[in-house]
Amino acid sequence: MRAVILISLGILTAAAPPQPRAGPGGGLVTARDSALHALNRLAYGPRPGQIDSVARIGVMRWIDAQLDPSGPRNERLAERESGTPLLHLSTSDLAQRFFAAQQERRARAQQGQVALADNQMMAGPDELRARALAGQLQQLAVERAVLSDQQLQEVIVDFWSNHFNVFFGKGADRFLLPDYVEHTIRPRALGKFSDLLIATAQSPAMLFYLDNWQNVRSGGWADRRMGGSQNPSGPAAARRPHGINENYARELLELHTLGVEGGYTQHDVIEVARIMTGWSITPPRQGGEFVFRPRAHDDGEKVVMGEHYPSGHGMDEGMRLLRWLANQPATMHHVSWQLCQRFVNDVPPDGCVDDAVAAWRRTDGDIREVLRAIFHGPDFWANANVGAKVKTPLEFVASAVRAVGAEPDSTPRLAQVVARLGEPLYLHTAPDGYPDREADWVNSGALLQRMNVAVALAAGRLPGITPPDREATLDIDLSARTRQVINTEAQGDERLALGLALGSPDFQRR
Amino acid sequence: MAISRRVFVKSGGLALVSLGLDPLFLARAAYATPRDGSAERPLLVCIFQRGAVDGLSVVIPHGDAAYYSERPRIAVRSSDLVDLDGHFGLHPALAPLKPLWDNKSLALVPAVGSPDATRSHFDAQDYMESGTPGVKVTSDGWLNRYCQHCREHETTPFRAAAFGAELPRILAGSAPALAIPDLQAFGRTGGGGRRDGRTDTITRAFEEMYAGSSTGLISSSAQEAFEAVRMLREANPTQYTPDNGAAYPQGRFGHTMLQLAQLIKANVGLEIAFADVSGWDTHVNQGAAEGQLANRLREFGAGLAAFAQDMGERMRHIVVLTMSEFGRTVRENGSGGTDHGHGTAMLVMGGPVSGGRIAGRWPGLDSGVRYEGRDVPVTTDFRDLFSEILVRHCGAPDVQPVFPGFTGDRTRFPGVIRAV
Repeated sequence: MRAVILISLGILTAAAPPQPRAGPGGGLVTARDSALHALNRLAYGPRPGQIDSVARIGVMRWIDAQLDPSGPRNERLAERESGTPLLHLSTSDLAQRFFAAQQERRARAQQGQVALADNQMMAGPDELRARALAGQLQQLAVERAVLSDQQLQEVIVDFWSNHFNVFFGKGADRFLLPDYVEHTIRPRALGKFSDLLIATAQSPAMLFYLDNWQNVRSGGWADRRMGGSQNPSGPAAARRPHGINENYARELLELHTLGVEGGYTQHDVIEVARIMTGWSITPPRQGGEFVFRPRAHDDGEKVVMGEHYPSGHGMDEGMRLLRWLANQPATMHHVSWQLCQRFVNDVPPDGCVDDAVAAWRRTDGDIREVLRAIFHGPDFWANANVGAKVKTPLEFVASAVRAVGAEPDSTPRLAQVVARLGEPLYLHTAPDGYPDREADWVNSGALLQRMNVAVALAAGRLPGITPPDREATLDIDLSARTRQVINTEAQGDERLALGLALGSPDFQRR
Repeated sequence: MAISRRVFVKSGGLALVSLGLDPLFLARAAYATPRDGSAERPLLVCIFQRGAVDGLSVVIPHGDAAYYSERPRIAVRSSDLVDLDGHFGLHPALAPLKPLWDNKSLALVPAVGSPDATRSHFDAQDYMESGTPGVKVTSDGWLNRYCQHCREHETTPFRAAAFGAELPRILAGSAPALAIPDLQAFGRTGGGGRRDGRTDTITRAFEEMYAGSSTGLISSSAQEAFEAVRMLREANPTQYTPDNGAAYPQGRFGHTMLQLAQLIKANVGLEIAFADVSGWDTHVNQGAAEGQLANRLREFGAGLAAFAQDMGERMRHIVVLTMSEFGRTVRENGSGGTDHGHGTAMLVMGGPVSGGRIAGRWPGLDSGVRYEGRDVPVTTDFRDLFSEILVRHCGAPDVQPVFPGFTGDRTRFPGVIRAV
């Protein structure tokens, strides 16, 4: 067996050479400190040697490069993407596979082998193939987090994937989600918020997840049934939608735009639902695309938070509503607050949120400029906020693999590690997405699991990792106490030292 | 013994480490004597049905004409349901719970819920877990506050445990609480299954690092974890066969209930247990006697019934409480489902339960009594139900600190716990 990962304990204890202060007006002392902080926030942590290279370029220049979408692409990653079968399949290809798997499962259920609700046991070949494709989507997210040179792009895609969360396990979303991630979220992740909002509103994945395809005018229009977990239990006619469904309307206001304190009432939710009637999907077996169905649309007049929507404007009503919501002050504040929570502190400083909102107002919700304002603000660099965030499971795993210069292999096993640590990707059932606060991720069981993963990774026993070819040096920041414990306990055993370093309390923060 | 065993283990364990002794030595010493009456201690199991279960499909008011007139596609026919008293019935998928109703260890609370009007899953779950409806700034959960304020039992890191990778809001707070993603994996540190000198070194090194890291959540959670690992190694719950022929259903919920039973029988001092089960947000094609909701209820009922059977005599000291953030609309929606409503139904099961009865006041389903004209109203504030269980089952002297701002008037208890 090839020697796995060699680290030099000297690196752990070596002090960084003192250099002039680099962060704009902050408390970070050296250029290396600033580089590490930026790599911990805009990226999934440093790869070996990366702190020095970012410090050399200049941390603000590196940040600007991360904000530049035309930056160089990582060729190795591009190769992997083109070698991922999932990305070569259309939604209708995926749908066919899904329905084949579903049929297989139903047949088994009829034979009494397993309850229909339970898809875990004794899968057939079509089900296994469908599951393998699902695994590729999760694995791809982990590969990109570890390998991409456009790290900020991956971080912000993760943010929006949670902000506009769609549960991968709900019926047709099992085959609609890849298109959602690739073509709805990713191309707009650093664009205008209004474009992203409209794209999600028109995405088959969201329309299915929050039931808007079933949202029709009162006494309304029959639509074809989507495949999925909805178990039929009556004649087809009984399953047709007959009236409005508030689910999307409510989450649009509460989660996607205004926020729960955004000043809307139950009546506004109903009016928004009426406006969104008719936003639907073509039959999934034919590709499942967005379609506006005029016959299902409620043509009456609506009033949302004092704004009048005269009757008879069809789909334009929804477009007008979404554009209006995208740049409401409550939306700017709600989304900016969440961005500051992600990039600065669990409890975002008011100044940070104010800077972000000002940039939003100035640029009409250009996400790139909102982020630039956050990264250039004093709060981002303040001592109190350095290392203030606890890593999510995805951040922990990706940063550990990056730190040792390793690579994920092409199996979904590394994504399964992330899942075991509590964050199965795209599988948060509720529309609020995974939380981004310390209290949600730190508990005794989760910490034990992280320590186990760290030790296994260092020992070369973590599945799903290709060890690095060369000798990697560990470039992470450890407290004096942690270094001392490692030096005492590891007694020169480098793998053990590495495992302890990655499992240390220091490495759980970013 | 005035000094709590927990503190003793924590500080003593660290002292011994510095002397180069195996910390397990101390754990063995501390736990060699059985905890006084551990099998007699009241145990509360809370199960959260996330997604807002349709209470009207759990405890079915088939005697209310509106139940059928408002739900032409999703009502359970009276010939299909499990009748209880001529007016209410159980969903047929919950038939395994009928014997518990018959032997008076299952009480049903319809029309229970929050005084807050929200129909947001997240807000309503948050309020039900924080125990402070309408107040968003409450930082800890009510089960944790119970543990904070009733400390006389606190001798074990397993006093409060939740099954799942994340510690739920309801158990968040300053009192120690464990999140257990998987019982078998929990006891292993060091990445391998076998314990040897090397895993002890690793455990010791991590313990030292985390003990010195800070006073924050990371440090305290890690300390709880190390103590729990020691105890679980002693208890060895990896070999397990359910008692009394209990058969847990396949699926996550059944597996969770099985692990809970294992943990209880390991006698590690569990007092508060929590698990959640999702899949109740039935906006579309809910189904009636069969269908989507029926499938979820089947696993749910079978899991609860298997747990009760497995526990056998131990059920004398156990109360299982189910909860959900709100109920669903009385009238079915245009998609053969139900939308977010208000009052729902909760189940209280166990030896101490005053069962075989409908607890709380049933307001009926007439349009005039509905909440905001559409939903089942709340006649039992969930805090009255939870308070009764804490006071009369767990022995809490006072629920004021657990539900701040709530009067906790005992005359409003719904009467789900038998007088001793």
